[in-house]
Amino acid sequence: MSSAISTLTKIYEERAVQPKTGVPVVGVTSNTVPWELLRAAGFDPVLLSPRRRHTTLADRYMEDVFSARIKAVFNFLISGEAAFLSAVVIPRTSEQEHKLYLYLREVVRQGNPERVPEPILYNLLHARSAEAEAYGLERTHDLKGTLERLSGRSIEPDALSAAIAEGNAARQAIRELLQQREGPAPRLSGRDALALIGAWYFMDRSEYTPLAREALQEIQTRPPLAGPRILIKGSPQDASDFCAAIEAHGAIVVAEDDWWGSRAAGQDIDPRSDPIRAIFEKYYFDAPSPRVFPSEIADAWFLRKASEVDGVIFYLRQEDDVIGWDYPRLRDYLDQRAIPHLMLRDEDSDEIGAFIERLHG
Amino acid sequence: MAEKQLESTVRAAADQKAWFAQLRDDVFEKQKPYAIVQADMPLELFHAMDVPVVSNQWWAAMVAAKRLAPYYLDGLNAMGYHDGLCRYCSLSLASTVAGDPAQAPWGGLPKPALFSARLTCDCIQRVFEIWAAKLGAPFVPLDAPGASDLPPRWWELSRYRWNELFESHRLDFMVAQFHSLIATLERITGRTFDVDRLRALMEGVNQQEQYFEEVREMICRAPKTPVRMHEQMSNVMAAQWLRGSEWAIAHARAFRDEVKERVDAGVAACQSERLRLMWVGAGLWHDTDFYTAFEERYGAVFVWSMYLAFGPDGYIRYGLDDPLRALASRTVSFNEQLHNPPWANEWIVDQAKRHRIDAALVLEPLGTRPSATGNLFIERALEASGVPVLPIVADMVDARGWNGVEMRQKVSQFLERV
Repeated sequence: MSSAISTLTKIYEERAVQPKTGVPVVGVTSNTVPWELLRAAGFDPVLLSPRRRHTTLADRYMEDVFSARIKAVFNFLISGEAAFLSAVVIPRTSEQEHKLYLYLREVVRQGNPERVPEPILYNLLHARSAEAEAYGLERTHDLKGTLERLSGRSIEPDALSAAIAEGNAARQAIRELLQQREGPAPRLSGRDALALIGAWYFMDRSEYTPLAREALQEIQTRPPLAGPRILIKGSPQDASDFCAAIEAHGAIVVAEDDWWGSRAAGQDIDPRSDPIRAIFEKYYFDAPSPRVFPSEIADAWFLRKASEVDGVIFYLRQEDDVIGWDYPRLRDYLDQRAIPHLMLRDEDSDEIGAFIERLHG
Repeated sequence: MAEKQLESTVRAAADQKAWFAQLRDDVFEKQKPYAIVQADMPLELFHAMDVPVVSNQWWAAMVAAKRLAPYYLDGLNAMGYHDGLCRYCSLSLASTVAGDPAQAPWGGLPKPALFSARLTCDCIQRVFEIWAAKLGAPFVPLDAPGASDLPPRWWELSRYRWNELFESHRLDFMVAQFHSLIATLERITGRTFDVDRLRALMEGVNQQEQYFEEVREMICRAPKTPVRMHEQMSNVMAAQWLRGSEWAIAHARAFRDEVKERVDAGVAACQSERLRLMWVGAGLWHDTDFYTAFEERYGAVFVWSMYLAFGPDGYIRYGLDDPLRALASRTVSFNEQLHNPPWANEWIVDQAKRHRIDAALVLEPLGTRPSATGNLFIERALEASGVPVLPIVADMVDARGWNGVEMRQKVSQFLERV
């Protein structure tokens, strides 16, 4: 394994959120916080997604209906470990994140504990309407103003352009990695892909791009992988365990319909447009979110990708209360096209194995 | 089922049934439009356009009260919707697509001309989109930005200072969405929206809620509660779904008058009242007898639920120069005030003090995220104020996991400790 692959995998696995000398760090809670704005304001943006089995602090305030990931983020933020963060930006990208914002505010208001970073709500909506679009653009301007207040300096056009170029370069590198998952004989496994792509959320993107390109060079020399090609749909794949469980049966996960893998990068931000509008449009029109509406738009990527694979596995964790509403519609779509599929509520190895076996047959 | 002590309660039920029969007749015989909407929608816009509305949550409660929820929810699960999904907001959908629709209460829901919902949680857009597709009617969503200005004692600002309470950008956005909804209603009805009519309706809502406030104050001050909680709910919600109408105002007034007569005559809902209980959360619609089960043995009477108490604090808006904006202020944080910190915990503790509450039961639904969150803050706040709390893990409409006997035993043990 090349040093680039091992470095990126280590960053992805560790998900470290640490103070940096001379650069204030700002946490974000998902893919729809404009990285470019934070970067141009002089911050080091980092995704908060700690691996934590026990969330004792969060359990005092958060009900069991919250996802394990959001509970872990909340636990981290109120534990005191996050006190070095200049702020945490939380988008209105899911109901759970909205609640996370409110809970953080309340914990601060109640004075217990005191070392919680300032929560900032980015009120980005995802329903497609003229009103929501106009509202989201205004809120993006507001976020710029908030970040300027926080950093004590203006976000200059040159800084924005540089941040957009930096982000786009990383996106291009990810898209090239994704090409290694395409076609009848992919070279990049799902497990590796999630790590190599996911690392970009936890590191400086100017450092990410050369490492991703170096990793790509090694992957291009690998022999093609054999086995049925699988698309995963359901609860976001914030760890590679489920991919690994599928691939252990001789299949290859070539895509996942969430913001951790195949859809992490998406298209570039248009460098020729007004930068704030271009940044907003990227996150409004081209970022996965459970709140994208209508389903015709939300489903479009899945429907296209489903036609390129040998089978689809729906993985709806016990905590799911969202994708379960989409499942019967998508299942019917696959049935109409004779695309094999499996639905799981937990990582049942036997069911996965039997499904892959049928695909082999 | 527990006896109805108030004539108003009997009349509310009868009038509601007659209203629904008339709705079915108007839809089937006269092809008049009606809408199915979420409970936190601006019903006033529909009323101002003479479009009757059926609230999703009201209908779910009706289906649950008729003990039909297991039948329809099993049917929904059989269609592939797993059993961990929200049941409160999908039971009405199930009653129209997952089983025999005619078995639903009062002949079932006819096909609406429109669906509309405020996009609070992440699943409601899905429930309504599925419903609209299955029944072949348009769905108009109202998106819901989050609040970032959160004055804890919101109810002290909501009547007169609503314009500053709810953040201008959120009000502007909601008004803009109202215009889109109004355009759809104009297209469906062929009528033109009249802002003066909306203003008059909003004034009527204020009048109605003032009557409810008088009832609330009587319950607070009377030595023993004059009206059981589940009768409060029946009377209040029958009027809230038709709020601002002549019938709703008259019913609220009659309810107020009847409660006042009882207070003046020293009549208590339960003469042996010794413990005053608070029910936090949506109603336990599949087992409303639960609410009177602890009177005889413990003198424990449910005196408070959000349904009556929220009327005055959540609905009244003074200063109706711009009724659309005032209505937006009622809509933007509607259910968040009941379930999110700091609004819900601060308000409920204040209500507990005013109502001299001895103990609280807090519904912790398994699904239904918007109702399931904020509860731990509420419970902690109540306990910090000296009110013992018993969490009730149950669904408000789904009786499939409910063991009424066991739950009554659990509450009995709790009350013995109180």
